[in-house]
Amino acid sequence: MDFIPKILAYVCTYCTYTAADMAGSARMQYPDSVRIVKYLCTGRIDLLHILKAFEAGADGLLVGG
Amino acid sequence: MIIAERKPFKEIAAAVAPYDKILIVGCGTCVAVCLAGGEKEVGLLASQLKLAAGLKHRRIEVGEITVERQCDLEFLEPLCDFVADFDAIISMACGAGVQFLAHMCHFKPIFPAVDTTFIGVNNAVGYYTERCRACRRCYLGLTGGICPVTMCPKGLLNGPCGGTLNGKCEVDLQKDCAWSKIYQRLELEGRLDNLKEIVPLHPHSRGTTPGTVIHPAYRRRYGVDE
Repeated sequence: MDFIPKILAYVCTYCTYTAADMAGSARMQYPDSVRIVKYLCTGRIDLLHILKAFEAGADGLLVGG
Repeated sequence: MIIAERKPFKEIAAAVAPYDKILIVGCGTCVAVCLAGGEKEVGLLASQLKLAAGLKHRRIEVGEITVERQCDLEFLEPLCDFVADFDAIISMACGAGVQFLAHMCHFKPIFPAVDTTFIGVNNAVGYYTERCRACRRCYLGLTGGICPVTMCPKGLLNGPCGGTLNGKCEVDLQKDCAWSKIYQRLELEGRLDNLKEIVPLHPHSRGTTPGTVIHPAYRRRYGVDE
């Protein structure tokens, strides 16, 4: 079986999340192995959040803000 | 406050390698301010330990708890029941906290996660400097609030040594001579006469460890002599 990495996307609600929303309205798709976690601001992201993601089994992390 | 530095991860991981259930106890006072052993650092260490164990295909249980002060019986006592479920304890407090926790929790191996460095001040987030040697005899009233015991590497009490040069210290030319600073400060305050007072030998005998202080009120109430 092919390895499908689980990617967690930490996104800012005002820019990256809105962009993802617009991409959705344009019927663009992204793999279902990407899970979005919405932040009010990516400035809130802490090293601890990133470590917890890997601890919980994420293979990769995308921060967008 | 007490300044401490986090130990290298390798050292901590090696110490707790034989244990599967580990409790990390943080301290919310001094070591939290100097970013070495507070609640956040407890979380980081717990993650590090779990991820490192995962890489070795081991599964470990790591408990996290942070108390207000580990050097205080009042905050430490409620921990005792909590500790029972774990095989080993990592304390992120200063040396005093680690020892007090060890004293409270019998039969549990305890490991320090920080190196206690000195009593110092918080100049800025992440920048700490030593100010006090806890020498049991304070001269700051005579020396314009600059400690000759701490700030002078030789701990001289009656003026500078012969090595002072242009206000700099011969031990470290980057640093100011403590006695030059003391002179300047006393001159500003118009208290240069202070320097005429000969300070007797420092009472090093009082520095015998471990020290004990019993407040007179405590002595009156409980009749403790020593």
